[in-house]
Amino acid sequence: MKSLKFTTCIMVAAAVLMMALPVSAVAGNVYKLGLSLAITGPTSDAGNPYAKGVEDYFRYVNDMKLLGDDTIECTIRDDKYETSITKRNFEEYLDMGIVFYLNYSTGSTLALKRDFDEVKMPTMPASFHAGNIEGSDYIFLPIASYSAQAIGLAEYLVRKHEGKTPKVAMFIHPSAFGRGPVEDIEKSIKAGLDIEIVEVVEHGQDLDNTAMLQRWKSKNVQYVISQTVQSPVAGMLKDASRLGLVAGKFGEKDKITFLGAHYTGGNDLIALAGDAAENFYWTTSYIVTSEPGAGADAQLALAKRYGRDDKAANSHNYANGVMVAQVAAEAIRRAKARGNEINKETLYQEMLEMNGMNAFYPVTTVGPVTYSKDDHQGVDTLQLYAVQDGEFRAVGKPFIPEYTEKIKK
Amino acid sequence: MSANRWFATGNYFTTYREEQRIFSTHLDRLVFCLFLTAFFVWPFFIDLSTKYMLVLDNILIAVIAVYGLNLVLGFGGLISVGHAAFVGVGAYTVASLAGVIGEQHMLITHGWPLMIIGAGLMGAIFGLIVGLPALRLRHLYLLMATLSFQMIFEWTIGFLNFFNQGQFIYVGRVHWLTGEVGRNEHYLFWYYVLLVTVVICGFGVRNLLRTRYGRSLVAVRDNDRAADAMGMHPGLAKVFAFGLAGFFAGIAGAMQAYLDRGAGFETFTLHESIQYLAMTIVGGMGQLTGCFFGPAAIEILDLQMEHLAEWAGHILPSALDLATGLRPLSFGLVIVLFLMFEPRGIANWWRILRTYLKLWPFRY
Repeated sequence: MKSLKFTTCIMVAAAVLMMALPVSAVAGNVYKLGLSLAITGPTSDAGNPYAKGVEDYFRYVNDMKLLGDDTIECTIRDDKYETSITKRNFEEYLDMGIVFYLNYSTGSTLALKRDFDEVKMPTMPASFHAGNIEGSDYIFLPIASYSAQAIGLAEYLVRKHEGKTPKVAMFIHPSAFGRGPVEDIEKSIKAGLDIEIVEVVEHGQDLDNTAMLQRWKSKNVQYVISQTVQSPVAGMLKDASRLGLVAGKFGEKDKITFLGAHYTGGNDLIALAGDAAENFYWTTSYIVTSEPGAGADAQLALAKRYGRDDKAANSHNYANGVMVAQVAAEAIRRAKARGNEINKETLYQEMLEMNGMNAFYPVTTVGPVTYSKDDHQGVDTLQLYAVQDGEFRAVGKPFIPEYTEKIKK
Repeated sequence: MSANRWFATGNYFTTYREEQRIFSTHLDRLVFCLFLTAFFVWPFFIDLSTKYMLVLDNILIAVIAVYGLNLVLGFGGLISVGHAAFVGVGAYTVASLAGVIGEQHMLITHGWPLMIIGAGLMGAIFGLIVGLPALRLRHLYLLMATLSFQMIFEWTIGFLNFFNQGQFIYVGRVHWLTGEVGRNEHYLFWYYVLLVTVVICGFGVRNLLRTRYGRSLVAVRDNDRAADAMGMHPGLAKVFAFGLAGFFAGIAGAMQAYLDRGAGFETFTLHESIQYLAMTIVGGMGQLTGCFFGPAAIEILDLQMEHLAEWAGHILPSALDLATGLRPLSFGLVIVLFLMFEPRGIANWWRILRTYLKLWPFRY
């Protein structure tokens, strides 16, 4: 009787093993990644589509078997734009054994900078603050920094401006995120960039900007460079439109031409400002879906494949999310192709070698992603867009700001 | 009092001295010791994830901060909505000094107990200054005075270069007898430091309430004119309460800075002040045990609401940002419900449970 029981047990165990073995033999490795960002709370208008972009691209990688039988498992947590929650999420990801980390806000990136270096975790934030990469070996900005973007806008207006030194005001977010480019613009002026900064305004939560705009008008301000998020810019544009101050064409005399960096623009700005957004000049390194091209098609197809609504599908922050996921997946793919074990060290090495002939060309950006030991800004190329008939249209060819290098010397 | 000090169930006090005992029965003392032992030894048996160690450390920091707020709000009857700013004063005392002398300076890394006490004293100084309006103001007007301090603090930190304009200022890793406390031991180390501080501060508050000052504070809360007529100085009692609240907040802030390895502006905003207020109300105003229950309850609620909001954020369309409102909604709702149905907070449930257990099984 005992022997019969024993035999039955062995047979059941063997059956279970046989059922499990083919699965484990076929199933590949699972690479764990983590993303902590504001899906709700402040800046969630950007964080929400960003999270969807990351999620969709990793699903695409797994569905299309771009890594063979291996899969990416990216846990996405909402931090509500609170550094304390981001820290908690990051610690949880470390416990889970992630090999690559995607972060979001400037504040949390700066706060966790030491942690990233200590645990040697390659990290890509959604913040393009130049201070993020100062003194850090493991943080990689996806695209050109806010400083480079603001300098790029300033260089453009110098090239297009007719007459004496253009008078410029800066409209910035009252935080490290907003203040970042001011110092670098001032350095560029010292290095020879011919603009005059008349005023730097850190906006509050004012519902009316009439006084500020009239003051600028009285000081002959002709250009405003914004480094903040869309809603304050939309408020400013609406007030400027009501006062008849918005330039009909770039640099129009006695009017103001408004320009802005990555997070000031996009379709959300048009939705918020309406007609007042016409002739707003905006720079980013991402493609936009209102400009036909392979990148726009790919972005829309991806969003459609995973059932995203139009708002998310056409968001430049969706492209932003897709791009960081592309870079992470590419680093894994390359490390795998070399036969290396996938861990944070090998992925870090892959990031550092992503340059020259090994540069990466994601479809969602206007230029290649290049990183090296000394270069932690991914896409150096910027594209200028302007709102025409309610859509962002490309203005000129992609460019690389000159003064970003000059002020380093 | 009952001859049997183990199982006394009623009020048998015959002197004021007996009434002022910290533990009314030996059983109370034993239970307290058992709880304390459990808090000290569980890390040897349970391997808690880093995430939850961090949560636990943050709860203990909040307990220290709420000791202070409870002194002002619960025992003193004075409203304060600037408590996070006092915590911030403590954190920035450590962080700004680290910014000036270097984050790896011996004073920061080796002299951290001194730094924590120093930050507490700095908090006390600010508390005394902010408490001065309490000599003349009450109720809504005092609320406005403390709110002003919160606003001034936020503005000062956010705009002055000395405080790195609110950007993160780093604090080096501390050293202990075994050398530098590394990343792997960081949260456990601070758990024990915090636990010891919570116990010391808890006994401090409990003893304070047995002193002349503590009793005068409660008397002033109940009726300041009557207290005045009995020879107490209501104004000084109130200012002293603010000073003490600032001291506890300063200690909590310094420990927060060491735990987070730096200080950033976002941790000490008005939102955090409201959170401390909620912890005090939910825990139980004027109850020492409320200082433990409040922070634990609010942190756990916060975690659960985070999961709910995150889940809602994933399934709701991006244009419909309802999930953003879930957390503040739940937060406000909990405060209102407690104020309406259980104004004495969770501490009262604890009291009811203890009373029930004392009578069980009919110990007369």
